[in-house]
Amino acid sequence: MEFSLLQPLRGDYLTNQTPSPKTIWMSAKVVSIEGLNVIRSGKLVLEDVNLEIHKGEFVGIVGPNGGGKTTLLMTILGILQSSKGKIEIFGFNPYPTNFRGEVGWVSQTAANIPTKMRMTVRELITMGTVSRIEWWPFSIRSNEKREKIEKAMELTGISHLADKDISRLSGGERQRAVIGRALASDAEVLIFDEPLVNVDRSARNGILKLLDKLCHEQEKTLLLVSHDMAAIRQSAHRVVYLDGSIQYDGHPDYLPDLIDLAGLRGIQHVHQTDDQEEE
Amino acid sequence: MAISEPLVEFLGFFLEPLAPFMPGHTFPAFFELEMFHRALIAAFLVTIVAGFYGSFLLMRNLALMGDGLAHVSFGGVAIGIVLGAAAPLWYALLFSVSAAIMIHELQERELLTGDASIAIFLTGMLALGLVVLRIWGGGVTSDIEGYLFGNLLLIDYQDLDLILIVSVLSLGSLFVLHDALLATTIDAVAARVQGLPVRWIGLWFSVTIAAIVVSMVQVIGTLLVTALLVTPAATAQLVGKSYRSCIMWTQIFGLSSVILGIYFSSELETGSGSMIALISAIVFGIVLIGRSIYNQKTNNLNP
Repeated sequence: MEFSLLQPLRGDYLTNQTPSPKTIWMSAKVVSIEGLNVIRSGKLVLEDVNLEIHKGEFVGIVGPNGGGKTTLLMTILGILQSSKGKIEIFGFNPYPTNFRGEVGWVSQTAANIPTKMRMTVRELITMGTVSRIEWWPFSIRSNEKREKIEKAMELTGISHLADKDISRLSGGERQRAVIGRALASDAEVLIFDEPLVNVDRSARNGILKLLDKLCHEQEKTLLLVSHDMAAIRQSAHRVVYLDGSIQYDGHPDYLPDLIDLAGLRGIQHVHQTDDQEEE
Repeated sequence: MAISEPLVEFLGFFLEPLAPFMPGHTFPAFFELEMFHRALIAAFLVTIVAGFYGSFLLMRNLALMGDGLAHVSFGGVAIGIVLGAAAPLWYALLFSVSAAIMIHELQERELLTGDASIAIFLTGMLALGLVVLRIWGGGVTSDIEGYLFGNLLLIDYQDLDLILIVSVLSLGSLFVLHDALLATTIDAVAARVQGLPVRWIGLWFSVTIAAIVVSMVQVIGTLLVTALLVTPAATAQLVGKSYRSCIMWTQIFGLSSVILGIYFSSELETGSGSMIALISAIVFGIVLIGRSIYNQKTNNLNP
């Protein structure tokens, strides 16, 4: 399907404003962050971040470079330590080590797969099912695992590429494979860091459709960091504008435009100052 | 009695009758010697282990690590010799494993990048070894050359025991930790989020590599360890299409380099370690050229 801004890929859930059973179901808290402060190399990167993400929500995080988007993700994942505040996933704090595979991580494709290795799509996705050290791991996999792998490939639409070398795939196909790996882990919450970088336009739309499908058919909770404002506006239920602290948290349609956001950061619009000077 | 003795006796039973069927002048005579049986078992063991672990070194962008730890182990060997140890390789093991743990910690704490910490340990420990030998050990003798460039035929039962123990432990632990190690190698963050103890796996990997490198010192020498650890894996990357096929090709290239290396070194009377390393590099060169020609042809067919 040809993509245009006039025909957004957004599902009908946004136009359907009446409360539905889904709204009630969505009220279950998945990620809960309270008063989070994070210091990196002596600098306060995140200050007093409060965020609640509910089951089935699709939350987009936008913001300027250095605004703390990746820092927030890394803190949620437990890779970075917070200096203050509380993070809970499914109501408990999983740190430092007892993650239970509720969260799936999809990083940027380019940084994701070592370039010096040969590996098929199936082999890559299989790695998503490894959540603990098993005594009999070498290629002897249970039917349950195999089913998960096949299902993940089917969902991401890459079943036909199963035996292809990942280094020979296009950017979009590779990104799907990486999403497939996160799906194979059976995670309820999927966290994406710039999944739309390094993919061409049609692949971008394909990935957005896939995200939509994951959210609405598979009932996954999605948290996505992206520079692609248009993509977030058309796909996400909720947008969070992060610049050190949360500056906006709400429906994408009401996201203030970039000039207003710059104003929030104390930057005056250039033309506005010129006008004022003329006055 | 050495634990490897029954193994050598058992395999010797099969190797001896092969002598008349072997090509060359000197090579067949080797098959009747017990020390050659030891050498062959040692060479095959370390090549198989190095093949599995070398692929991971390459994937983790740590190709230099083997080389660095080998140089560190030379420092250990030198100190062992000076202290009059019967088997200086155990000293090498101690030094190499401690260096591996330190390199891993420096990297984990982001105090130094992997390359820099490896380079510092590499030169520092090699220098320590040379200085210690010069002052207390009478300089670089032919014995020490054996550790630098490898001398297969000088492997005694004590060395073979060390090689056997390291090989069995490293292959056994890889059998259990393989999937976790691969997941960690592909994407450490994702693996951690999936619930894998990424840091412990990294530490185990570093320590195991250190032990493997020490077990390889007698076979190929501290200066040439990379030839068996990385070159076959790198050659396999040129032909393999999946992870599984790469592992298979790594073993094929590694083992054939060892067999050809031992054959040519016995026929041309050169050092076994250097010949194995040379053959390994030549195999890489041939496969690389073949691969480029094949690529060009297929590109011409489907422009």
